[in-house]
Amino acid sequence: MSLYTLNVNGRSEQIEAEPDTPLLYILRDHLKLNGAKFGCGLGQCGACTVIAGEAAVLSCLMPVSVVGQRNVRTVEGLGSPALPGQLQRAFIAEQAAQCGYCIAGMIMRAQALLEKNPAPTDAEIRRHMALNLCRCGTHMRILRAIRRAADAMRGAQ
Amino acid sequence: MKQITPRARRRLWSVAVLLLILAAGVAALAWRPAIAPQAPAQRPPFDAALVQRGAQLAAVGQCAVCHTADPSTPYAGGVPLSTPFGTVYSTNITPDGATGIGAWSEPAFRRALREGVARDGHLLYPAFPYDHYTRLADDDIHAIYAFMMTRDALHAPAHPNRLNFPFGLRPLLAGWNLLFLDHAAVRLDPAHDAEWNRGAYLAQALGHCGACHSPRNALGAEKKRRYLGGGEAEGWYVPALNAASPSPLPWTLDQLTVYLRSGIAPDHAIAGGPMQGVVGNLAQADPRDVRALASYVLTFMGKPPPPLEAAARAAARSASQSSLPPATAGDGADAQLLQQGAQVYAGACARCHDSGRTIGSGGAMQLPMAIALYDPDPRSLIHIIRDGIAPQDGRAGRWMPGFADILTDQQVTALAAYLRRHGAHAAPWPHLAADVQKAAKP
Repeated sequence: MSLYTLNVNGRSEQIEAEPDTPLLYILRDHLKLNGAKFGCGLGQCGACTVIAGEAAVLSCLMPVSVVGQRNVRTVEGLGSPALPGQLQRAFIAEQAAQCGYCIAGMIMRAQALLEKNPAPTDAEIRRHMALNLCRCGTHMRILRAIRRAADAMRGAQ
Repeated sequence: MKQITPRARRRLWSVAVLLLILAAGVAALAWRPAIAPQAPAQRPPFDAALVQRGAQLAAVGQCAVCHTADPSTPYAGGVPLSTPFGTVYSTNITPDGATGIGAWSEPAFRRALREGVARDGHLLYPAFPYDHYTRLADDDIHAIYAFMMTRDALHAPAHPNRLNFPFGLRPLLAGWNLLFLDHAAVRLDPAHDAEWNRGAYLAQALGHCGACHSPRNALGAEKKRRYLGGGEAEGWYVPALNAASPSPLPWTLDQLTVYLRSGIAPDHAIAGGPMQGVVGNLAQADPRDVRALASYVLTFMGKPPPPLEAAARAAARSASQSSLPPATAGDGADAQLLQQGAQVYAGACARCHDSGRTIGSGGAMQLPMAIALYDPDPRSLIHIIRDGIAPQDGRAGRWMPGFADILTDQQVTALAAYLRRHGAHAAPWPHLAADVQKAAKP
């Protein structure tokens, strides 16, 4: 066991864990942040996507030992049920979730895109989101929600 | 103002005349006549068996690797190829009259393959491997022509190239052709069997293996003396296929044949980067031709040095029972870096690549046998760590996730250094950290 200090959603957290523990387990089991989901555990589905530093990462593949000083952000950091963030509002407006299992990962990957590129083309959104899968098949609504959030964020400025 | 002496004036004149003669010479070589356009209705009908043979040959020729940017628009061009001279975009080779090669008669098509000249007479860049295709037999060109002319005609205008000055000037290619374009037929060797000789023809004339697997000179021509001596493509190191092959284990004919058709040689190699497209095409080729290619290539690769093979085999035997060792005090000056690399390996790689592999790890390769660890430079390993390995769309194959955003540059550097030292037991790569910085991220 080793002691790690992680920065998660703006808070400093002390965690004791084996170095190869996936960040996903730290988030869910130690910090009770259950937004990110365990889907395949192989980095093939994207349900565990969170942001580390500025990039969307698959937290099931990321051992806690390599996180270092990077700020980790999860869907809980974007807003709350009472005060949802822009992307969360857009996903609600488009009713983009069916079972909802993939949505936290979808939102975090989209968030990373919009922070880097506030005015993505539809093709750029598709390319960026290609890794995240939705087995209910709500991809078209998810794409619309991301489009809506991008437009809203730009309008708000 | 300085006075020009009569002598200097005479010299100036002679230089000017010389330049004029040179320019005229280049122009004469660079000027090629247009071949009259041919209307689709004038093309003869093609026999289905001929088209089928053309399809299999086009697969060996790797036409689609460069000419298909999007699988939904096959052969419509638009694939960027970055070279030291700038970026060349492949063009539309579907039979579209306006933007493709629909107006090309067979003689025009043959001239393009043999001499690198487009139907309208302009010179083609040797990014198009006419320096190989020039050796093609007439009837093979005929079959490939039949195949291309029976594809769907797609409207796709050429993307302008972005070449550094002066390489945008196509007439200069006349000089390149004069220096490097060798029309000599593939030399067959009666000492080898028919399969090997078929492979020699396919590798040299059609498959253009040397285009990536041979090093190139400052003008972008393959170095003939270092044939198959290792090259580069799209930022990847392309392994040598001659005695300098980095493979720690010897290849067998069966293994290489299967690899060329599937991209997988179990516990030996997985096709990555630009080679994925190549094996994707070879899967469509005549299996006998692929075996012939393997048979030919094998004769160039010597056996790996016995100690190297023994070490890799020992590692292979023990890999299922034990782990790659941790970094040790014996690592000297690099101890700290290797220690960090060992940690990254244990955290991010070991659960698939090491002993006690988790159930989902499938056939993750045991890294002491992974050829990329033995390459003369780390570019391919860096790409594999960062990009992962994914089969082409719609094809089954081995899969590894990319770690580009999970690992920092520093962590990738440490991991590569550790794998080189403790996986391959080889001397450190000299510019590893710089190579990690330079390598393009996916």
